[in-house]
Order: sequence, then structure tokens, then C-alpha cells
Amino acid sequence: MSAPLVLESAEALAAAVAKGERSAADVTRAFLAQADRTAPILGTYLHRLAESALRDAEAIDRRRAKGETLGALAGVPVALKDNICVRGVPTTCGSKILEGYRPPYDAHVVERLRAADAVIVGKTNCDEFAMGSSTENSAYQVTKNPWNLECVPGGSSGGSAATVAACEVPLSLGSDTGGSVRQPAAFCGVYGLKPTYGAVSRYGLVAFASSLDQIGPFARSARDTALIHSALCGRDARDMTSRADARPIALDGLEKDLTGFRLGVPRAILDEAGAGLAPSIRAAFEAAISAFERAGATIVDVALPHARYAIATYYLVAPAEASSNLARYDGVRYGARRSEGDLRGMYEATRGAGFGREVKRRILLGTYALSAGYYDAYYLRAQKVRTLIRKDFLDALEVSDTLLLPITPTPAFKIAEKTDDPLAMYLSDIFSIPASLAGVPALSFPASFDASGLPIGLQLVGRPFDEATMLRVARAYEREHDAASRAPAIATAGGGGAR
Amino acid sequence: MNRPAMSATDEMRAKYEPVIGLEVHAQLKTKTKIFCPCATTFGASPNTQVCPVCLGLPGVLPVLNERAVEFAVMTGLAVGATIHPRSIFARKNYFYPDLPKGYQISQYDRPLCEGGGVDIYSDGEKKRIGLVRIHLEEDAGKSLHPEGKEGVSTTRVDLNRAGVPLIEIVSEPDIRSGAEAYAYLTKLKQIVVYLDVCDGNMEEGSLRCDANVSVRPRGQEKFGTKTEIKNLNSFRYVEKAIAYEIDRQIALIESGGRVVQETLLWDSARNVAETMRSKEEAHDYRYFPEPDLLPVDLEDHWVEGLRETLPELPDALRERLVREQGIPEYDAEVLTETRSLAAYYEEVATRSGQPKLASNWIMTEVNAVRNKTGDTIDSFPIRADRLGDLVGMVASGRVSGKIAKQLFELMLASPDGPEALVQKHGLLPIEDDAALRALALEVLAANPGPTAEFRAGKEKTFAFLVGQAMKQSRGRAHPEKLQAALRAVLGEAAS
Amino acid sequence: MPIDVSVVRKIAALARLRIEPSEEERYARELDGILGFVEQLQALDVSGIEPTSQVTAGERPALRPDEVCASDVRDEALAGAPERDGDYFKVPQVV
Repeated sequence: MSAPLVLESAEALAAAVAKGERSAADVTRAFLAQADRTAPILGTYLHRLAESALRDAEAIDRRRAKGETLGALAGVPVALKDNICVRGVPTTCGSKILEGYRPPYDAHVVERLRAADAVIVGKTNCDEFAMGSSTENSAYQVTKNPWNLECVPGGSSGGSAATVAACEVPLSLGSDTGGSVRQPAAFCGVYGLKPTYGAVSRYGLVAFASSLDQIGPFARSARDTALIHSALCGRDARDMTSRADARPIALDGLEKDLTGFRLGVPRAILDEAGAGLAPSIRAAFEAAISAFERAGATIVDVALPHARYAIATYYLVAPAEASSNLARYDGVRYGARRSEGDLRGMYEATRGAGFGREVKRRILLGTYALSAGYYDAYYLRAQKVRTLIRKDFLDALEVSDTLLLPITPTPAFKIAEKTDDPLAMYLSDIFSIPASLAGVPALSFPASFDASGLPIGLQLVGRPFDEATMLRVARAYEREHDAASRAPAIATAGGGGAR
Repeated sequence: MNRPAMSATDEMRAKYEPVIGLEVHAQLKTKTKIFCPCATTFGASPNTQVCPVCLGLPGVLPVLNERAVEFAVMTGLAVGATIHPRSIFARKNYFYPDLPKGYQISQYDRPLCEGGGVDIYSDGEKKRIGLVRIHLEEDAGKSLHPEGKEGVSTTRVDLNRAGVPLIEIVSEPDIRSGAEAYAYLTKLKQIVVYLDVCDGNMEEGSLRCDANVSVRPRGQEKFGTKTEIKNLNSFRYVEKAIAYEIDRQIALIESGGRVVQETLLWDSARNVAETMRSKEEAHDYRYFPEPDLLPVDLEDHWVEGLRETLPELPDALRERLVREQGIPEYDAEVLTETRSLAAYYEEVATRSGQPKLASNWIMTEVNAVRNKTGDTIDSFPIRADRLGDLVGMVASGRVSGKIAKQLFELMLASPDGPEALVQKHGLLPIEDDAALRALALEVLAANPGPTAEFRAGKEKTFAFLVGQAMKQSRGRAHPEKLQAALRAVLGEAAS
Repeated sequence: MPIDVSVVRKIAALARLRIEPSEEERYARELDGILGFVEQLQALDVSGIEPTSQVTAGERPALRPDEVCASDVRDEALAGAPERDGDYFKVPQVV
């Protein structure tokens, strides 16, 4: 019996569709069937687009029949986090305040995906306005980890991570502000890339913290990650912070070995997590260092002396920007309104009822940090510390080519285990946040599994706009390990469609 | 809330020095909004010039309009401000239905331009009004509050104006009276219109002004408590409102009261300033650098390139006209009201070779017609070259002043030049000796009484006879030659 | 400054956010905890350090040419409004 279609790589599927060996419609139908079976169990989607996906796939097949050359993602189903706008399709950001909202425009990445002939199959669940680490802050539903249904998939892009892990799609997009792609990727045993800030246009990504937000892909292999990143990156005139320096990655380059490569290891950062660092993570980290060394890399000790201040910095900068970004949800032009007396009553009722606890907490925190009398002590100081953190990374990446860090202190935790204490939840972001503040690219890759069978991910951090090197390192690891190629039982239980 | 009408006496006024600073918002004449490519046409149907960006939809980002930066820098250069090589946009956070994002993108601690100033005349003396800063920002939309039925109270929002580029020009507190404020605004408007960066139209809101007013006992250095007056929709209202507020503050202090820092709204129908309903909380705009826009970094050569393209500004132009054309300062002031008027004048003066006569014709005849019709000089029906020809004909005696005025009237309605009209309407001057002699004989014959009186030595009657002859010729007779002919004929008959 | 209920009320008003009275105490406690945590930044010497508000600052961005590009979103946008009055968005009276 051959491997099920849904386990195949995006690269292979796109090639088959482009050559006419498979139809885009067949590929789409297979993944839709997989999601029909698993998505209700996992709670991955807030909105599925089965009909339009099939229509789009058939249109791609017709274009091929007419002799047109198809794009790099020909017929590949892709899911989008529900904070990425698709014209006419509900976009809630996991929030009640956007219930019923349908954007009248497409995000830049949606245009790019369509231009590459990908097929958009739905909007995935996430923490409300991307604020959270477990997807439990969604106002609509809880998403489960495909490896263990009692565990969270991570967050905030938990739906997008889980849907790729469960082979409901080969590829998906999330957004990463402080780790929201990388952390759920690690929890779900898939790749998650946070591109360099400015590599992918944010046009059409509902803002959480503008100076940190980046759209990033989930995939099940290093090559597939490179494939979709290449389709999305580059300058967009509608985002002034987007940059032309971001270039597509040549897949063949990923196959180069690691001879002469310098892997920077900021070992001191492990101590920052203190007792919170699971032995399984530490073990995987040490094992990976040895593996890279065996593969020909030189290990370089580096320091990120200010990384320990990253969480404090982040929880001033991100809420401050968020408090302003979320001011537009005022019940005037879109979304759900609650009327109570005069205009002010309408504002307060609409926002009070529309936002969940975590979002309110961050709006309050950010409003406070920006308010008169506190700006210098909080926001401005945090921005200065941010300068120091960025410099740490750029310095470390002078003496090494890529850094290796953990991404999470533990594997996936249980649903409802951590929601009570916000500060404890924030502290678990210690490994993901520094790269976010520095604006450098970072990749979470599947490294191994713990004793209970939960995936463990590790993180590579690269130089600005050098996503290619990180992916090459991850690919070298992937060649020697099977962590990336394993699929959870739920993904294969249904047979997954004929090959 | 009504406040008691208070007025100060001249005696009271003498004891205080008013201190006034103005904040002027000028709408830049760009084709598109400051952060999105929507049109900025005034008066479009509600919510037709909108897009995801200016509607503040989730997920959109601002992209800075290059022309808006150019226009703001040009204004800064024109008033001698320092143009900062780096300026930063900031978010000003507050809630209002016509502010779609819940914040206005403006500039805060790093504005585009700082310093500079403009010169005005106050009581005939030249005076410099310093500028604090000029910064770029976006306009808000419009909230309309229709007079509803009792109990029905809603606001309607039109976002066409949301995102239209503005510059805010903040003056130093150098202004001392309503009249100076008026002069300052007039000058500022003249500058932005000369630069062609703003149309200067106050009715359409292209120029808006808020005034900060305080008074202090003469000789005191410390400023008094200031109030801010908003809703000043014309330069005259600004002048009136400031005069009103100065008097109110003086009378209040004189009666033992204290000025409270507050915002007032000018009611132009009733000529009073009233307290705006006070806000429930003090403003806390929570400014921070706009992360969606990068700092505006200007290269020296770009700024210098712009400086070279600046048109001649009103002060320089006025001085040049005085110097080159030799006309009085007053004439130059009137003729430089706009760039096109000055250009019109220069053409008339050059063509006719008569700078002062050209100025007279424009200041009296041309401006009288324009005042009546509301024409700008660009829409004025007589071309400058034609008026130049006419002035030249007057100067050379080709036509009399009277004929010239007739020609001017004809030219208003005709595309023809003065020479063609002279031919067409038979307005050629009568210069021929025989014709003039015939005319003289005819007039004397028709006026036997006055003729006899003249001959009896009543010299005064001569003017009457000249007038009659001129009338008879419909003004065409050459004045000097006509007089000579009359005297000749009168002399002949007597001898 | 410790965060108490009165501070929570003040910033909630500034953010136009209704907080139920029963929740005020909890928000105060949580914010106080987070702000206590971020106090560690005060220990760092940041004198002479430029703030980073954007990591790509300093890159000269391409500005937008002043050319009109009409959008077609108006009808969809108005149709999505919670309340409209003809071609206007409608809200309760401002005052």
C-alpha cells in the first residue's frame, strides 16, 4: 500500500499538478476529506471554504488544460490564520468583536498565494487578536493538539499549526509577534518560520503589535517551508516596512552540507528558564548540538546578555502598540455593536462585551504604559532595551552563521492547565521573544519527541533576510532524523486518500 | 453655557498686553490622501472617496504620499524654518467617530520643520511673527449632527475627508491683537497660495485656525492663563473673536476674577465665544512613534533641489517690483496679492512701457470689475498683452483717456485687441487739421451765445466750447489739436 | 506606583473599555504583578541608547507617488456597518 496523498509534501503535490499527473481538484478533495474527518475533533477551523476551494482548484485545472504554466504552489491547499483578510470571507481574529465581519479586500499574502496557484481552504482558530500561547483565548472554540487531544496546540496560531500537523493541509499561514508561529509549531511537531521583520508584507494581517508582527508559514519539511516563504516574501508598496532584501530561496541550496558552518550556541539563555525548563527539552537541545557537530558544523559559544530582559520589554512594547491598534474596534464601521445610551456608552459597551479577558488586560497594560507620566519610564525605556537586544543578536551572528536555541521550556501542556496566571504564561515565551524584538528571522523545527510522545521543537535564529541558511541547517538535521516525517495517529487513522 | 457679556474700557485695555499664538491647519493640494491613494476632491458624495486604509479597516497600513512631504518642506523653506533631516510620525490616540483608527497619525516630538517666521505690517511697522513648528498630519472625517426630532439623536459620519493631508503651522506667542492675527493669517495664506501647496479656501476648510489667547499686565514677563478658541471659519472671525476674548479676559481680571484654562467655541452669529462642553477627563493622547511608518529621512540634495524650485515669494516679489518698475510700495503690495496678478501686472507694464500707468489701470479699472464679478486675474476677460497695448495707446496719445475707458468696456466683452476695436467702432482719433477745423466751425455755429461771450473776452467759456466739440466728436478729437483748431477759428472770425 | 482599582478605572475609561466592577480587583492585581515584573528594566543603564521603535528604521522607504487609485470597497464597507443612514455611517449622538 502506498503512502496516503495527504502525507505528501507540497513540493511533490505542486509538481504533480503542474505536470498534469494529478488534478488540483483531486488533491483538494483529498485534503478536504481529511479535514472533514479530523477538523471537528481538533477544532482547527473557524471557517472552512470547501466550495470555493474546489472551484478554485477546478479553475487551476482548466488553466493547465489550456496550456498555461502553473505557479509554485499549483493546487496546494493552504489554510490561513483567522487574522489574515480574504475578501468576502469571515475574519474574526478569534474575537467576538469581529463576529460577522467580512473584509472587502485581500491580504497581500492571499494575492501571492493565488498568484502561485495555491488553493485557500479555510480560516483557522487562534487566540483572540493573536494574544496568547495556547489558542485557549479564542472566543469561539478550543483547538486540540493532534498528538494528544488533551493538550493545547500552542498559540496564538494554534489552528494553523494543528491543521498542518494533522495533514488537513500541507501548508498554512500564521502570524508571529512574540512566538505565535514558532511555539505552536514546536507543540505540534511541524516547521514554523518567523521571517525577518519586513520580509513579508503585513498588508491584510490584522495588527496586534505592528513593529513585531510577521506572517509566517507552517509546513512539514524544510523544503516546503522554503517553497511557501519564497512565494510570499518581497517588497509590497502597501507596507512601508516591507523590504526588497527578502528574496526567494533556491531549494537546491538547502541540500548543501554543514562543512565550515558555525553554529552559535547561547547556552546561558537556558538558565533564564530556570526550573521551568523541562529535562526533555534540555536533552533534545544538547543532542541537537552534537548532531550538528557530527554534520560538520563548528560550535561557537555566544552570549545574548540582554535576552533576559526580553519578556519585560515585550510586555511593554507589544501591549502599548496593541492598545492603539485595537482602538479601531469601536462599533462604528464594522463588527458587533452594543448600543447603550450615548456614543461613549456605545464605545464602552461594544468594547467591554467584544473583547475577551486577555485582550482587555493587554489593552489596559498598554494604555497605562503609554499614558502621560509613564511613557518615559515604561515604553521609551523598553524601546531602548530593545536596541540592546537587537545588538546582542547582530553581534552573535557576526561570529556565527546561525544560532541554536530552545523554543519552548516544555512540550505542549494540558488544556486549561495554565490559563489562570498570565505572568506564568508570559514567562514561557523566554526563548521566542528575543528574536521577535530583534527583528531577525527564526525557525522552529521538529527535533524529537518526549517520552509521552509529544513533539519537541528547537529554534534556529538567523541574520536578517537570511532565512535560507536557517532552512539549510534544518534540512541537514531533517536528513538524519525522522521527527519531521512522523505524523500523529489522527492524521493516518482514516487512510488519508488514495495515492 | 452663557457667560455674562463683559467689556473692557480703553483705560483697562491700556493696562494689559494681549499674548496670542495661532495654530493654523492648511490642507495640502495633493491629488491623493496622505496615506492612501484616494482622491481629495472637495464636495464629493458621502463616503465615495474611501478605501480600506482611510476607513481604518483591520489589517491596513499607511503609505506616505511623497508630494505631501514635498509641500510641507516647501512651506518650511518659504518661511525660513529648519528642515529636519529626520522627522517621525506619531500616533495621537483618542476616540471619535470621524477618526476611523482611533488615533490620528501626526507628528509630535520630531516635527518636519521648526523655527522660521513671517513678516507682517502692524500699524505701519514691519513685525516678525515667529513660528514654532510645521508638521504633517492627517485630517479626520466629518461628523454631521442633523437637527433631529426631539429624542432622536444620532450622528452621521462621512469619511471622505479622513486622511486628507494637512500641515499644522504653530506660531510663537508673538501676536498682540486681533488685527495682527488677521495680518498674519493673510500673509500665511498668501505664502501657501504662492507656493501652490494649498488653495487657501477657508469656506471649504482648506485653512483652519485655532487661537490661544491670554493677557498679562504690561511689563510682566510671565504669561497669563490662556484660553483656546476654536471654530474660527474666517479671518474676520479670528480677528473678532480674539478682540472679544481679550476684552473678556481683561474685564474678568479687572472685576476680580481669574481666567480659567478652557476651550471656547466662537459663535459667529452672536459674536460670542462659549465654553465647549468640558471633557469628562483631561486629554491624554498617549503619543508614541507610528510603527507602521518609518522615520522620514530627507537628503540634503533633495531639500536643496526643492529650494531651487520655490517660486518667488510675495515679499521678494514686492521688493523687486518697487525696484525694477519704480512703483510705490503700496502699489506693489496690492499687485502682489497673488502670483498671477503680479505676473499680469508685469506683462502690462512691460508691454506698455508704462509701469505706473499700468499699475493705475489694474488697481482701479481691472480690480473694480473683478470686485464686481468675482473674477480671479486668471479668469479676467482682458488679456495682459491687450491691456498693455491699451495703456500704451493712452500714453502715446493715440487715444484719449475717455476713449480708452470705452475701449476697456468693449474689450471686456470682445476677444479683439484695442487697435482692432478702434477700427471696428470708428474710434480713430480725429487729428486731421481740416477735419478739426470743420468740427470747430460746426461747434461755434451751433453755440452762437458762448462764442460771442468768448469773443467779448470771457476766457472761461473756452472750456465749454472745447467740451462741446469733444462731445460732438464722441471723444475722438485730439485734445491739443482740437484746442488749437478752436482758437484758430475763433481768432479768424474776430479779425 | 501600585495599581489599584482606581487606576484600573481610569485607564479603562481612557481605553473606552467597560470593566465589570466584579473584575476590577482582579485586573488591578494582574497588572500590578506584570508591572512589578517589568520593573527589572529600571536596573539597566540605557543612557545614550537610541530607542528602537522599528527595526527597519534608517532604511529609506519608497514613498507613494501622488496618483489617484480609486477603491471599490465602499458598498461592501457600508453594507458591513452596524448601522447606516443612507450613505453615512450612523452612531449615537456624540455628546
